[in-house]
Amino acid sequence: MARKMTTQRRALKGLGNGVLVVMILWTAIPFYWMIVTSLKYDKEIYGYEATLIPQRPTMANYATVFRETPYLLYLRNSVAVAVGSTILSMIIAVLGAYAIARLNFPGRALLARSLVFTYLVPTSLLFIPMFALMSMLRLTDSLHGLIIAYLGFDVPFCTWLLMGYFKSVPVELEEAARVDGCNRVGALLRVVLPMSLPALVVVTFFSFTHAWNEFLYAYVFTSTTSARTVTTGLVNFMSQDVFFWGPLMASTVMSALPPVLMFLVFQRWVVKGLTLGGVKG
Amino acid sequence: MLTRRAILKHGTTATVLTTAPWWLVRKAHAARSAKLVVWNPAALAPQVDKIMQEQCYAYAKQAGIKENEIDYQIIGGPQLLPKVVAALEAGNPPDITRFIGGYAQLYREQGHLLDVTDIVNKMQKVPGGLFPVSLPGVMHQGKAWAVPQSVSPWTMVTRMDLLEQAKVEHPKTWDEFIEVCKKLQKPPKLTGFGLCLGLQNDTDNNVMNIIWGYGGKLVEADNKTVALNSKGTIAAVQMIADMYSKHKIIPKGAIAWDNTGNNKAYQSRQVVYVLNPSSIYAHLADSDKELYNVTGLMPIPAGPAGAIEELSTAEWLLFRHNPYPEVAKGLAEYWMAPENLRVMIEEGDGRWGPPYKGMYDSAFWKRPVFRHWRPMLERGRQFPSPGAMSPAAGEVLATFTIGRMMHRVLVENWNAEKAVAEAHKKVAEIYARHQKG
Amino acid sequence: MAISTSTTVSLPIPSSRREMGWGERVQRALTHDRTLGYLFLFPAILVIVGLVAYPFASAIVMTFQAKTAGAPGRYIGLENYRELFSSEQFLRTVMNTVVYTAVGVGVKFLLGLSMALVLNQERFCNNLFRSFLLVPWAIPTVMSALNWRWIFDDASGLINNVLVRLNLISETISWLSDPNLAMLSVIVVVVWQGTPFFTMSFLAGLQAIPKELYEAAEIDGASVLQQFTNITLPRLHPIFVTATMLSAILTSSAIQFVLILTNGGPADKTMIFSVLSYHLALGGAQRLGMGAAVSLIFFPVLVVFIVFLTRRMLREKGE
Repeated sequence: MARKMTTQRRALKGLGNGVLVVMILWTAIPFYWMIVTSLKYDKEIYGYEATLIPQRPTMANYATVFRETPYLLYLRNSVAVAVGSTILSMIIAVLGAYAIARLNFPGRALLARSLVFTYLVPTSLLFIPMFALMSMLRLTDSLHGLIIAYLGFDVPFCTWLLMGYFKSVPVELEEAARVDGCNRVGALLRVVLPMSLPALVVVTFFSFTHAWNEFLYAYVFTSTTSARTVTTGLVNFMSQDVFFWGPLMASTVMSALPPVLMFLVFQRWVVKGLTLGGVKG
Repeated sequence: MLTRRAILKHGTTATVLTTAPWWLVRKAHAARSAKLVVWNPAALAPQVDKIMQEQCYAYAKQAGIKENEIDYQIIGGPQLLPKVVAALEAGNPPDITRFIGGYAQLYREQGHLLDVTDIVNKMQKVPGGLFPVSLPGVMHQGKAWAVPQSVSPWTMVTRMDLLEQAKVEHPKTWDEFIEVCKKLQKPPKLTGFGLCLGLQNDTDNNVMNIIWGYGGKLVEADNKTVALNSKGTIAAVQMIADMYSKHKIIPKGAIAWDNTGNNKAYQSRQVVYVLNPSSIYAHLADSDKELYNVTGLMPIPAGPAGAIEELSTAEWLLFRHNPYPEVAKGLAEYWMAPENLRVMIEEGDGRWGPPYKGMYDSAFWKRPVFRHWRPMLERGRQFPSPGAMSPAAGEVLATFTIGRMMHRVLVENWNAEKAVAEAHKKVAEIYARHQKG
Repeated sequence: MAISTSTTVSLPIPSSRREMGWGERVQRALTHDRTLGYLFLFPAILVIVGLVAYPFASAIVMTFQAKTAGAPGRYIGLENYRELFSSEQFLRTVMNTVVYTAVGVGVKFLLGLSMALVLNQERFCNNLFRSFLLVPWAIPTVMSALNWRWIFDDASGLINNVLVRLNLISETISWLSDPNLAMLSVIVVVVWQGTPFFTMSFLAGLQAIPKELYEAAEIDGASVLQQFTNITLPRLHPIFVTATMLSAILTSSAIQFVLILTNGGPADKTMIFSVLSYHLALGGAQRLGMGAAVSLIFFPVLVVFIVFLTRRMLREKGE
């Protein structure tokens, strides 16, 4: 019996290793092409002379990006928008989620439900009226405008995720703290938040990457160079120049780095945060 | 441990933190509204973008506008339209932008444009005046609603070196053309004809260009009677389908190309011919001198009804929302002053043809590569010809109706008759909707 | 439902209220769940009303109008909807959206589940593999779409390049313009980018299953397959539902992949509703009402998902 079990396990492990190798290749090859293209001269990029491994690797495309676009400015803008919208949505979501998870008041269920609906209204339906609204408030062409626009997506999502997590924090702990003289805010800050750290990481990660990756709003709402983010700044390579793939891939590689690094650092907590928030509920 | 006072403090801090940015932001923006906003679509030739921007700043200096009062943006071609639509809806369009023919009439009809009759009148007084073809796109009931910027024919951009090597003449008819392509091409590395067939403006223009050679047309001169469904159109559509599927002289991927697809194919030396305005040529001047020197701008081959090139016009559109209309009008005038336009066009390696008849006397336009340019301008037509550029024609062009007709045949194997009949119906619907208002 | 239990904090007796100062009264009010609840939720409500409900309502109004940008709309009743339903392009878009979403989500689900199972096995350097396999999800969508467009390129792309070199094909394959391949190619990209979301969620789910359950099953002599069907699958069930629905909603309404890869072509073979809406509203015709109507027609479909989803979630959360 036990022997059968171990052979089964061993076979599974072998199968797993096989699948893992295939999946790693599947994930890695597109990255390889992206990086390799960014390191090639045009001659090796286009047509049937295209090479699989660069014969004469070059950083010229990276130089082009810095020379022809204010790339550092785009980068700074992206960071500002991502950090700004993450902090704001975090504050709003923590308060909102705590209220829905722990406080009793009429309309609570309705609010919880409307949060989810909000999250799911397609952007393609919203962006024209949103743009009109932004213009009315004189928020187009500005980073503040983008930060605020992203809240429409981030707040519902983060509130919803935190709500589940907060509920998994045992009420008894909070009650104990309150018996010790803590009030609601104290309990939130001293008991609930520290215990929800993985969820806070998930939420930070989600809103940061969303703001970093968002395209449609950034593309329609801004036109001045001073308010462009990396995703929209990059698109300009698509039409200003016909031979654009080299610099385009160079800026893609550079723009992908921050979220990827962030992901590599936080991956463990993200999975943990999802474990407790999403699954146990 | 927190006291009740602390709750209050935290509660207020939280509220202030979350709502304060709104006011801060508004304050920061109050100072911003008075700029001259220019959205100039990329010219596909960097040297031209640079010249236009320099001229804008030169104008500003002369007009006493500070550099920080100008908001000059070079917008990628495909991004211009969505951005303008969104900006119009929000009530803050740019002060001035450039569009290809058709849009001026659309926005004029919707009441967004400034009356620029005075500028156009001045332009008419330049010796030789304007080409008549530059006017229908901007005039309405005797007034001008946009400033003509250029008139350019769609030419057969040709690898003259390959023709010479094979000792072939430039083909006179489409039948000859097919033979030449078959002779010169070496698939898959080199294909004959980079005809754009994606869902893009280039496709609609390219196909209409060929349709004329077979006697077809979009609409009658009354601008009401849609005339697409004809023997001529069907024959042309069939001919293109044969070029694609039977003779295989058009790259297979051409049906997914965007407007840069044919440029890319030509520049990476994968095709002998493309049908395009001179943007490719001007671009090569900056990026690939070797190819530039062997590129010819040749007339289109003839069909049974002759050879007629298409003329593309472009216009400066000045939106009415502008707080300082005079500043934007001044800029348009400055750009279109013959001495400045000459710099833009000649130092820009012929990116466009000037709308002034009198500007073709210079040494630049006497270059051999431009020897067919004037005859093409003389016999060329615009997309809706014999009808005029109208909002309806603009919508036909912008919704890729002709391209979709080609996809019916090329992708879904419809016969040409059925595809043309369907496209005719769609065009008629568009024209009817615009007549309703 | 917990709401009926009302507030747990006892109300102050009326006599003492008279003696309270203003500040004290506010402080006291703040200890009430009701006041505090609304206060805490105020910013979130502001966001929802301002940034979603209001634009949503204006979009709905727009669908009943013939409207171009910057001009007031003209009320035309259900005309936009009537035109859509009689348009072959729209019906094709509906079909495409369903196929695109169903196949895309289905493949993501299966791949995500296998990846999660593999990554849940004990292995040397497992954390490194986990991080790496999840990376496609972290890079901006626009960028992966562009990168894939380049991989699929006719002449210079990776795939054709390799196939030609290996002499497997004599003529290059037009991945994005061949009517039979275009949708498949787009879905490949969607799967590449979206699988990590499933992997991550499922991995989280797997890690939440107590090890003791498997140990007990093993003692009872259950095979690996039995363990999988009797323990793993039922335990993962809730997360299957949420992940699938979330992904279905986001996949169907995402715009970048199709916009960048095929722009809906060839011959509308890859046209999905978000892209059609974008074309109608911001493309040549500039028919904002039609554009909004396309998106709105799909909303009820999403709502069915959402209602199902929220009911499930709220139940899980013990409401």
